[in-house]
Amino acid sequence: MNQRSNFIIDTYLMTKRSTIAIFRNPFIFIPNIMISLFFLLVYQAGLSGISNIPAFEGASYLAFILPVSIVSGAIGGSGGAGQSLVRDLENGYFSRLLLTPTSRVAIVLGPIIAGMIQLFIQTVLILLVGLWMGLDIAAGFGGAVVVILLAAGFGLAFAGYSVGFALRTKDAQASQAGTFVFFPLVFLSTTFVPYELIEADWLKFVSKINPTTYVFDGMRSVLINGWEAQPLIYAAIVIIIICSITITFASLSAKRAVNRD
Amino acid sequence: MSNQAIVVEDLVKTFKGDVKAVQGISFEVEDGEFFAFLGPNGAGKSTTIQVLTTLLNPTSGSVTVSGFDVGKDPISIRREIGVALQETGIDPSLTGRELLEMQARLFGFSKHDAKNRAQELLDLIHLAEDGDRKVGKYSGGMRRRLDLSLCLVHRPKILFLDEPTTGLDPYNRNAIWDEIRTLNREFGTTIFLTTQYLEEADQLADRISIINKGKIVASGSSQQLKKTVGMDVIDLSFQQNEDAEKAKEVLSSWTKDYRLTNGELTLYVDNGAYLLPDMVRKLDKEGIPPISLNLAPPTLDDVFLQVTGEHLEEKAVIKQEGVVSP
Repeated sequence: MNQRSNFIIDTYLMTKRSTIAIFRNPFIFIPNIMISLFFLLVYQAGLSGISNIPAFEGASYLAFILPVSIVSGAIGGSGGAGQSLVRDLENGYFSRLLLTPTSRVAIVLGPIIAGMIQLFIQTVLILLVGLWMGLDIAAGFGGAVVVILLAAGFGLAFAGYSVGFALRTKDAQASQAGTFVFFPLVFLSTTFVPYELIEADWLKFVSKINPTTYVFDGMRSVLINGWEAQPLIYAAIVIIIICSITITFASLSAKRAVNRD
Repeated sequence: MSNQAIVVEDLVKTFKGDVKAVQGISFEVEDGEFFAFLGPNGAGKSTTIQVLTTLLNPTSGSVTVSGFDVGKDPISIRREIGVALQETGIDPSLTGRELLEMQARLFGFSKHDAKNRAQELLDLIHLAEDGDRKVGKYSGGMRRRLDLSLCLVHRPKILFLDEPTTGLDPYNRNAIWDEIRTLNREFGTTIFLTTQYLEEADQLADRISIINKGKIVASGSSQQLKKTVGMDVIDLSFQQNEDAEKAKEVLSSWTKDYRLTNGELTLYVDNGAYLLPDMVRKLDKEGIPPISLNLAPPTLDDVFLQVTGEHLEEKAVIKQEGVVSP
């Protein structure tokens, strides 16, 4: 019991610390949210005409492109978890934490949860901007909640990846480079047009195996069509699979980082 | 009956690639003692401190800190010790006060107690006025002092300091010295300090172990160590190496022991003040007058020179200038 309440306090403290660090360094979260909003505004402004093509089945392009903005924000935001661990490793604070009786899991969990908080605020903000631009969520408020949950799930998976990468390389440049996976993840998918409209066969193939496609599908289904089981189940399964992979990777890397031999 | 704060027996630490950082060292530190590990860069000081503070496991040998085994019960040890590593461990986006409160909370203080403790420590290290500024804005000396106070939050019985004054100016170095002296004398905190500065070990420590290339080469109080060298030390420097060589031949009958390094001849003699005029006269006659001479009681550098054949301070200086020694 004592052990568990200590763990909760440790995790709370570590999360609080990382959250303070994020919000005191506006350069960490402002560029990220700007990029997401930029995507939303620019793609909507420049591409919304193509939603007149029959393959869009009358969907609003705003609802179609909004998930791209949210997912790119989620990836950027949760990538911050790894960055913050690298900073700890470089400025020696990580060692200081290891020298306390603090739970090792809490030390790694703190930045991840803080990243999730950042992601949540960001997603809500993008949704609000979307609503202000005239977005009509087919599944209503529940649909908005689903969008947030999917963003959080996908963000968690990416946080696991970035934390694992950070702990393995222990180097700011290397872990920065690791976030470049962002580009294939976001853009080699049904990013701008539905699957049927993708021209190149290779891109069709890649978008099929890209987990982001299923997250886009899940979000779009609640934004455009209302409640449909299949896309949501697929999105959930994909998120569970990649989360288990990246979080395992993160824990193995964490074990190595605190290894005493 | 005195209790042992630290007991190390045959500690070996080998890293991947068969790098033997520590090669079988044994020593004990008593409760309340001020103990220093003196040695050049790369001697194994930091590795030893990392093993003692539970950051690394020993490859072999046994290490007990405050009665707990480092391998079996690291968490109990962490509650008893405070550690200031060579690099300060500070998150620059927090304020000094926040860092201290966080540290106290991680050691199980309640919110209220953590607040009080943070204020106490800010007062102690004279940072009360800057307590609410972000640490990123602190000067190097302020960071060091904050770093030291972070180790003290939970009132540790044993304090480990890994080269606490490296890179500090004399003002800040003296401030740190005063603080650790006070901790040791007034609060009875056991102190384990590593340093590459002779003066630091000499001024502060009750007992010193000299470590070189992963092995302890001499141990004792500063006085005891200096006694092993002999009586006096005469340093003579010459224009050329050959002159020093020749001087050594000329003076050999008067000295107990000597060292020859780069045109510099160090002689260990009984009653140096009496012998020196005769020596200079003799050298003059031989046509190899020294360009400088110095007579002094032995220093810890002489002890180091005698047991390792090298100077300690030169190495330290080389390291500070960032020049890689061969």
